[in-house]
Amino acid sequence: MRVNFVFSEVAAGLRRNLTMTVAMILTTGISLGLMGTGLLIAHMISDMREIYYDKVQVSIFLKDDVTDQQRDAIAAQLDSSPEVKDYIYESKDEAFKRFTQQFKEQPALIANTPADALPESFRIELVNPERYEVIAQQFPAGQNGVDDVRDEGDFLDRLFSLLNGARNATIAVAVVQALAALLLISNTIQLAAFNRRNETNIMRLVGASRWYTQLPFILEAALAGLIGAALAVGGLVLTKVLFVDKTLAGPIKAGIIPPVDWSAIAAISPVIAAVGVGLAAVAAAVTLRLYVRL
Amino acid sequence: MQIDKGEFVFLIGSSGSGKSTFLRLLLKEDNPTKGVVTVNGKNLGTMSRWQVPKLRRTMGCVFQDFRLLRNKTVAENVAFALEVINKPQRTIKRVVPEVLEMVGLDGKENRLPNELSGGEQQRVAIARAFVNRPLVLLADEPTGNLDPETSQDIMLLLERINRTGTTVVMATHDYHIVDSMRRRVIELNDGVVSRDQSRGVYGVGR
Repeated sequence: MRVNFVFSEVAAGLRRNLTMTVAMILTTGISLGLMGTGLLIAHMISDMREIYYDKVQVSIFLKDDVTDQQRDAIAAQLDSSPEVKDYIYESKDEAFKRFTQQFKEQPALIANTPADALPESFRIELVNPERYEVIAQQFPAGQNGVDDVRDEGDFLDRLFSLLNGARNATIAVAVVQALAALLLISNTIQLAAFNRRNETNIMRLVGASRWYTQLPFILEAALAGLIGAALAVGGLVLTKVLFVDKTLAGPIKAGIIPPVDWSAIAAISPVIAAVGVGLAAVAAAVTLRLYVRL
Repeated sequence: MQIDKGEFVFLIGSSGSGKSTFLRLLLKEDNPTKGVVTVNGKNLGTMSRWQVPKLRRTMGCVFQDFRLLRNKTVAENVAFALEVINKPQRTIKRVVPEVLEMVGLDGKENRLPNELSGGEQQRVAIARAFVNRPLVLLADEPTGNLDPETSQDIMLLLERINRTGTTVVMATHDYHIVDSMRRRVIELNDGVVSRDQSRGVYGVGR
């Protein structure tokens, strides 16, 4: 296969339909960018699960007037419970310390919070995280110094369902956008094939293989897909630098939200590129097969 | 009906009688609604799509409207036919000048098609059709756009190609040419062969 021939055909084709090519690249880029965002959110969700789920599953908050005796009794009961894998005790002081750590970006909030406002608690890791009910029954709220038993997993589930929803919405928009991109690719390829019908007709008549005839068109679409993928990755990098790293700096430092690592972007970039190139090439091949006689 | 190797056949008939379709069937550009087309011993009806390019490499085509690439020179137009079927550059460099000399275009290799006369453009088209030494040359009204004198030159060229052993099938309306050459004539009428005559003339009783 004469490489020069193929590449000059590809370049000429892209130049000839410049407006269509730009539209094709932009829609492909937006679609891939949204897909990348969805993947990053998914990545973030799994990071957050690691941060939160592993630490705490059930918290027993104690009343302000809990006695030492009651506290020791609870600790003893946790020690002997087969359901409990591990637990830590957090005093009022420690709770406040953690609070100031978490919200050090918001000094006003800390200033307005009395040091003893936060309850002391037992933070429990269960053998089986689903068995929250058992703990809730063993330590009825309002008795023996127990103020409340809270299933942290429940809260996390709600948080994660929100994040999952965000991820799904992003991916749904990406899919719709991808559909638009595919139709544009198909259109551009039809146009390109029409523009070069003299050449392709002759190629067909002198017995050039289908592959040889179609390759320039498929490469043209694949190249557009690759440029679109590059735009998408560039968009993600900009989003990280200008939005995530700046606006979300506080919660990230506090450990509430995991940071978006360069490695995560590096990891999904090849995926974006492969999807962009693959979809564009397949769309072009199918278009040639269905609409164009080559 | 059979056309033997090395024959020169005129395909005549009024417009819409099926001359071009006949040529397209030989190229497997169209498939017959019934009947079997065999080229070079191969049944085109059972031939897969992937074998069609191989079939077409054994055939050359010339048209009334030349179908040259306007942005390529004479030599590039001829070379294009070889490049796209992956002939080595060495071969192309050797055979393109040969065939251009044969059709009488030596010295005009670097002209663009629109700098040439109609007759010269048709010579380029013939060179492109013949450069890969096809077994069959199909010509669809190759003289349709040319004056009688130029047409005569083109016919001489086609005869010369025929003498190298290439079968020539030429669809035409030009009765001067048919009558003067006295070759086999196949007449089509509404898609049906109405006459098949060796050493024939254009119209019976003309």
